[in-house]
Amino acid sequence: MADDASTTSPQVAPAVTEAKLAPGPVDPVLAAIDPDRGRPADAVVTRGLTLRFGEKTILSSIDMQFARGSITALIGPTGSGKSTFLRTLNRMNDKVQGFRYEGDVLLDGASIWTPGLDLLNLRRRVGMLFQRPNPFPMSIRDNVVAGVKAHRIAKGKQLDVVAEQRLREVGLWDSVKDRLGDSPFRLSGGQQQLLCLARALAVGPEVLLLDEPTSSLDPISTEYVEALLRQLAPALTLIVVTHNLAQARRVSHHTMFFYDGHLVEHGPTDDLFERPKDPQTERYVTGRIG
Amino acid sequence: MTTAEGAAGDLPAAPDAARAAHRSPAIRRMAGALRAGETGAWRWSARVAVVLPTAALAFCVAVLAVKAAPAIGVNGLGFFTHSAYKIGSAYAPTVYTNGIAHPKGSAYGVLALIVGTLQSSVIALVVALPVSLGCAFALTERLPRWVSRPLGFAIELLAGIPSVVLGLWGVLTFGPILANNVYPAIARHMPNVPVLDWFRGTPGRGEGLLTGGLVLSLMIVPIITATTADLFRQVPPLPKEGAEALGMTDWEVAHRVTIPWVRAGIIGATALGLGRALGETIVLAMTTGSINRIAPNIFGSMSTFAAEIVTQLSSSLTDATGFAVATLAEMALVLAVISVLVNLVARWIVTRTSRLGGPVGSGV
Ligand SMILES: Nc1ncnc2c1ncn2[C@@H]1O[C@H](COP(=O)(O)OP(=O)(O)OP(=O)(O)O)[C@@H](O)[C@H]1O
Ligand SMILES: [Mg+2]
Repeated sequence: MADDASTTSPQVAPAVTEAKLAPGPVDPVLAAIDPDRGRPADAVVTRGLTLRFGEKTILSSIDMQFARGSITALIGPTGSGKSTFLRTLNRMNDKVQGFRYEGDVLLDGASIWTPGLDLLNLRRRVGMLFQRPNPFPMSIRDNVVAGVKAHRIAKGKQLDVVAEQRLREVGLWDSVKDRLGDSPFRLSGGQQQLLCLARALAVGPEVLLLDEPTSSLDPISTEYVEALLRQLAPALTLIVVTHNLAQARRVSHHTMFFYDGHLVEHGPTDDLFERPKDPQTERYVTGRIG
Repeated sequence: MTTAEGAAGDLPAAPDAARAAHRSPAIRRMAGALRAGETGAWRWSARVAVVLPTAALAFCVAVLAVKAAPAIGVNGLGFFTHSAYKIGSAYAPTVYTNGIAHPKGSAYGVLALIVGTLQSSVIALVVALPVSLGCAFALTERLPRWVSRPLGFAIELLAGIPSVVLGLWGVLTFGPILANNVYPAIARHMPNVPVLDWFRGTPGRGEGLLTGGLVLSLMIVPIITATTADLFRQVPPLPKEGAEALGMTDWEVAHRVTIPWVRAGIIGATALGLGRALGETIVLAMTTGSINRIAPNIFGSMSTFAAEIVTQLSSSLTDATGFAVATLAEMALVLAVISVLVNLVARWIVTRTSRLGGPVGSGV
């Protein structure tokens, strides 16, 4: 497996990736005030992670690093365990009947299964966006600040500020500013998904897990969300499951290919698509399996 | 109506058609006629089903109104502003007011009954609603199947217990236990300030407003629990998972997502329970002390509309002028109107709150 490639952070990724995502020159002043200074270069690390439902092994011994500020795409045919892997990272699988794991997941160097760890705070730090938009049955504004309220990050008038800021961030402000008190269910699917993104961003996550975030959206909205994800990347570590190979190529720095219970190959996105090392990867990315 | 012949001929035969093809034409014709008749019968029964309850309700109200007519005029508006149930003297000569005969000294007022009916229903609801929501939540989200199945069944059985049994238990066991062990503590610890001083006073033997309301709440818990549990099961997992993934506690998920998702339905279920509470008769007749007065405190004895009607029926029948029975009919009419009003208010709340409810189960 391409271990050498996987440890490379996106900042020093091959030129072609670099150009596409244009992170800009590293400013020494910005670097000095970088809040991530002194933290591990990898936001998330999995060590020999094996996932099972009952006796059925879904994925075995996954060793992977997710560089801080990078976008990683998870690809693979249906049932290859992408969602299972993703949902393990914020411990959404823990209460699923029959779920068992071996190995470990490190967030900033600390195991997510550390005894006594604050699960609610873990989920604040590791946000999630789902395949279909899932607004809560409350007003648009309350949707955005639902997590903020739960975590007591802000209150009172501040909530309005947070709501506006996050809605602006996802580009939804202008279309909803006159109907903040309305039901979110009358928004279009794409708008609802953006609302859910705003909601996830509002609690200030470090890692964002996205499970086929654009699969229910039209091409225009998809393009918009993709652009947004690329903007979020330097500040956030994104892990995106997608069935859309073109999307994986457009947005991600790194790609992981799951097949048949294994992480078959991973590496810089362009390498994986242009020069796959594994014949199964090649067949998948050229559209011959899956 | 198409016969199976043609279909069986050129298309791959459906199971029914294949079976029909083996029968003789006569049998097939007969079957066809039967099915046509069935459709007609179905249509008719649907019409009857629509008309019957409406007609029954209208008939009921009309009969009550006719029976109550003499009493309405004589009792006047004063009926609603004081509390009394005096049949009057059976020996003194009959008195006539506006040409309506009634015994000398008869006096009727339902103020206390209106207040008592609303009070006992509100107590029942205030207790039953959180208990029911908690039960429904535990049944659907918390407990493993092997616990929730029998427990759900037990709660449904509770709904089937005849109210006279609950009433007897309430007056013989539940009320005295509360009066000996719980009420004195409440009465002692409530500060003597307005509103809260209503929770002070002598608990007595446990026959009164609070006992009645609590037994009543036991009767409506199964109704609200069963309905709410069904509603909770309809909430799709995705919004709940979204809330969990945002770092909400189970309680926050329930309170911010699951319950609001079916808020309109819960209000409907509550209205159902409230309707039951307003009309419940025997339990209240047995457990409230049945005194036509406004309870001086929450432990005090009192009565409700339905309870008063049933306790006064036999003595009212002795009124030779028939005026007491006419008054009972007027009381029944008022109770019916209160129930309808409560339901209308519930409906109004449903339409108001469903605005932000989930797209499913919100009744929109
Ligand atoms: N709760 C569960 N209990 C048992 N098996 C499960 C459970 N959830 C998922 N699985 C199994 O785990 C395997 C991986 O499922 P997963 O949802 O992770 O696939 P996926 O790669 O996300 O597929 P898709 O692309 O269709 O979303 C599948 O075989 C699925 O049947
Ligand atoms: Mg999936």
